[in-house]
Amino acid sequence: MDPSEVEFLAEKEIVKIIPNFSLDKIYLIGGDLGPFNPGLPVQVPVWLALNLKQRQKCRILPPPWMDVDKLEEVREMERKEDSFTPPPSPYYMELTKLLLNHASDNIPKADEIRTLVKDIWDTRIAKLRLSADSFISQQEAHAKLDNLTLMEINTTRSFLLDSLNCMFKLRSNMQPGTSAGKALDY
Amino acid sequence: MSAALSDEGSDQNDSQEDVMTPVELIAKLEEAWLNEKFSPDLLENKSEVVECVMEQLTHMEANLQRVRKGDMKASLHRMEIDRIRFVLSSYLRSRLQKIEKFFPHVLEKEESRADGDPSYLSPEEYAFAREYLANTETYLKAVALRHMPPNLQTVALVKAVPEPCLDSFVFLRVKERQDNVMVEPETDDQREYVVDLEEGSQHLMRYRTIAPLVSTGAVHLI
Repeated sequence: MDPSEVEFLAEKEIVKIIPNFSLDKIYLIGGDLGPFNPGLPVQVPVWLALNLKQRQKCRILPPPWMDVDKLEEVREMERKEDSFTPPPSPYYMELTKLLLNHASDNIPKADEIRTLVKDIWDTRIAKLRLSADSFISQQEAHAKLDNLTLMEINTTRSFLLDSLNCMFKLRSNMQPGTSAGKALDY
Repeated sequence: MSAALSDEGSDQNDSQEDVMTPVELIAKLEEAWLNEKFSPDLLENKSEVVECVMEQLTHMEANLQRVRKGDMKASLHRMEIDRIRFVLSSYLRSRLQKIEKFFPHVLEKEESRADGDPSYLSPEEYAFAREYLANTETYLKAVALRHMPPNLQTVALVKAVPEPCLDSFVFLRVKERQDNVMVEPETDDQREYVVDLEEGSQHLMRYRTIAPLVSTGAVHLI
């Protein structure tokens, strides 16, 4: 899956914005939004928030987890624990990137948040590499991956799955009588 | 104009036979999209979902035709339509790619299924697969086979084209709790064992083990 498609899914998350225009309730296929009144916070999906922001029609309120103190806590937890701790948001990396790239003027301490999220990401990816390594070397057939986000899974997907499939192919070719030469991509 | 757009949410619920709201419909489409993207095999077709979504989109577009240009509401509706259209076409495209890749097997499966079973291909996809098969055969004949000695002029495509590999690993998230799912061992000196899939948990395992759960909707691929 392309990272932009993961970002596409992240754009469905809800954020609060403060619009500077007024508009009646609108009835989208995916749910109702609004009404919009200048100065009153309203919940919208991220894709809409970013579009309105680009047209300078609103101010985005950062999600509650996007806060220096909270993220520092998460980073400490993540470094202390050997397993994955619950991520601040299932789309924390994508949302940080989207909101900081398009609305950094609405987010206090944007640079610190960027560094913290990057630290959390790096710690988690290092753990992910370690566990993928032990998964393969112990030839496991099942792994539980709670607390992993879609973006994290996606960064390791093609490499991990291709390697597993290649190993499977090599192994099944060693045993006589099994049909080899099946399509191993996907 | 606002009347044209604001009756949107209410009148569409009644016009469909089943009681699926547009919100649930879009969620269904996205789930089908991701499942199809990540499963090694072609899944059952979801033509009711596709048709309902198409209906919603055409309906909404017809409404938008009546709106003057530059209207704020209309532009928001257009953006949403574009997003849904993207998911829909990506879904259909990934099915077509699989059909092209595994066409002899897909056709064999479709033609050998019992009458009551749900079909894997929509009528359009079936026509596409048949045509693809015919074109491939014609092409092979024209380019190579007719120059071969008479006893080598046939080729069995079912044997020549690779089958989908059901043993590949997939990532999945559990929607309904499943107890005692059998995990087959990787090597001969390991023993098989069972795992419980708890609701909301995520796993990495072989597609073959959980394929039936994907089609019932108890788990979905991520």
